[in-house]
Amino acid sequence: MNTRHPVAATLAVAGYIVMIVPILFVVATAFTDGETLSFPPRGFSVRWFGEALSYQPFVGSLVTSLEIALLATVLALAVGVPVTLAIHRGALPGKGLVENLFLSPLIVPELVVGLALFQQLIVTFRIDNWPVLLIGHTALLLPYAVRVTGAALAGSDASLEEAARGLGASPMRAFWTITMPLLRPGIFSAALLSFITSFNNVPLSLLLQSRKTQTLPVTMLDYVQQSYDPMVAAISTIILAATIVIAVIAERTVGFAKIFGGING
Amino acid sequence: MNAAAQFENVTQVFGDFTAVDGIDMTIPAGKLTTLLGPSGCGKTTSLRMLAGYTRPTSGRILIDGNDVTRTAPEKRGLGMVFQSYALFPHMTVAENVAYGLKLRRVPRPERDARVAESLELVGLGHLASRKPRALSGGQQQRVALARAIAIRPRLLLLDEPLSNLDARLRVQMRAEIRRIQAETGLTVVLVTHDQDEALEMSDEMILMRAGKIMQQGAPADVFGSPKNRFVADFLGYENFVQTVSGLVTVRPEHVEIVPGTTAPATGLALPAVVTDVAYRGVDQIITVTSRDQNGQVTLMSDVRADDAPRVAIGDDVIVTAPESRLISIEN
Repeated sequence: MNTRHPVAATLAVAGYIVMIVPILFVVATAFTDGETLSFPPRGFSVRWFGEALSYQPFVGSLVTSLEIALLATVLALAVGVPVTLAIHRGALPGKGLVENLFLSPLIVPELVVGLALFQQLIVTFRIDNWPVLLIGHTALLLPYAVRVTGAALAGSDASLEEAARGLGASPMRAFWTITMPLLRPGIFSAALLSFITSFNNVPLSLLLQSRKTQTLPVTMLDYVQQSYDPMVAAISTIILAATIVIAVIAERTVGFAKIFGGING
Repeated sequence: MNAAAQFENVTQVFGDFTAVDGIDMTIPAGKLTTLLGPSGCGKTTSLRMLAGYTRPTSGRILIDGNDVTRTAPEKRGLGMVFQSYALFPHMTVAENVAYGLKLRRVPRPERDARVAESLELVGLGHLASRKPRALSGGQQQRVALARAIAIRPRLLLLDEPLSNLDARLRVQMRAEIRRIQAETGLTVVLVTHDQDEALEMSDEMILMRAGKIMQQGAPADVFGSPKNRFVADFLGYENFVQTVSGLVTVRPEHVEIVPGTTAPATGLALPAVVTDVAYRGVDQIITVTSRDQNGQVTLMSDVRADDAPRVAIGDDVIVTAPESRLISIEN
């Protein structure tokens, strides 16, 4: 910590406290032996983890959440990466407009998007909730796919592909041997961010859910409105642990600076 | 002259900007040809059309007598060095150089030999396993050269190859590129905006302006007898005087300033007023404004400082130049 900037240092410590302490409370209460979600926890036990993992609504919605997050990420990348390539490398007329279109889900309130999808697809066309949820999440993730992979491309020299072509590579070959390796960290970052964004989403999922199809955050929200036992803290802790594992993998493979540097790139 | 490449009435239009305007040119085989001109003159566009990265709006491009106007860059077999070098950052120096050979399915032992040979040619054999980002600008430039040479290109194209290097290295690389050209016997086309670079390096020089070719020829021929005002100006002639027989130009080092008002009988002789005297150590540059021609003409004299006439701003002088140094040009 830099002692020459006491104000900055104090703010940094305050920031850590604000961010981490509430999480510690949740983790601590998850290990309680008592019946209520209270602090300090009463005794030590892991029984609430067992309860959480055998509570069907949590498990079912966790599976739904994972499926939606995974598929929406894949779809968003499948659409977003070619769009990014077209924006950054192609002779696309109105590039700015296209880029703004794909970034717009970041600005338009999710509730509005959710309501629009709900009205059109669920009410009017009577499409099942599950595919609509997938469509909504895919739209939500497109900005990440376009922006984060775009940052990786923008940072690389456009004459690289030309150089490859000049040396004898077909456009396909140049793409796979030059563009793709340069894009890989960007795609990895975009995938990670997308997955987490989808997995954590509440507003969109709230509007597009049904009894049968619910994501975990929505189920948890429902649950804490009705009961106040430590099962919610337990499932939160499980998710936290999983996130930490993902974060460690990301840090080891690409590095956080690279991943999150991509947002502003 | 044996032609390695030819442009036949080639035009390139981008939107409402005509980058290259119906040019005809011949690139001689086994020589170093420079495309010279100010930015926006169409020299880089011409090189990119030759490489196949942009397709001409109209006209034909021939390489070794074959029409390649619609041929993709990967089918042209040319070596290109980009201004940014465009080295593949995820590959080592040796992998960069081997890239074109792998695509040509050159067998491993021969590939390794040619990579080593190319790197040796540019003096970088010892850095084969480095990544590009661990190299200096000058070294990256050499890798880009080696990568282009390794595929034994029909033409070696260099787009402003020296502009990202510092002044000393740039002068050093001029000789280096000349040496490589001589050793390999390759036909080289080099784009530059630096007239000194072009004069020093070229066998053949093509001067462009606003999408048109202004003059083509050996450096000494172009420099010795510029055809028009643009060429003369670009090559540093500085002085332009309208005489009874037309526009003439003369280089500053051939202009003499004589104090007083008595004119010699032959050659150029203009009464003028000194407007600036710049001492530069070895030489001295005296700027004057002619009393004739409505005071419109500014002339420059570049003389050795040791021999410089003692004149000051505001002095009346006669500007003279011998008849033999005057060159008639088109406006």
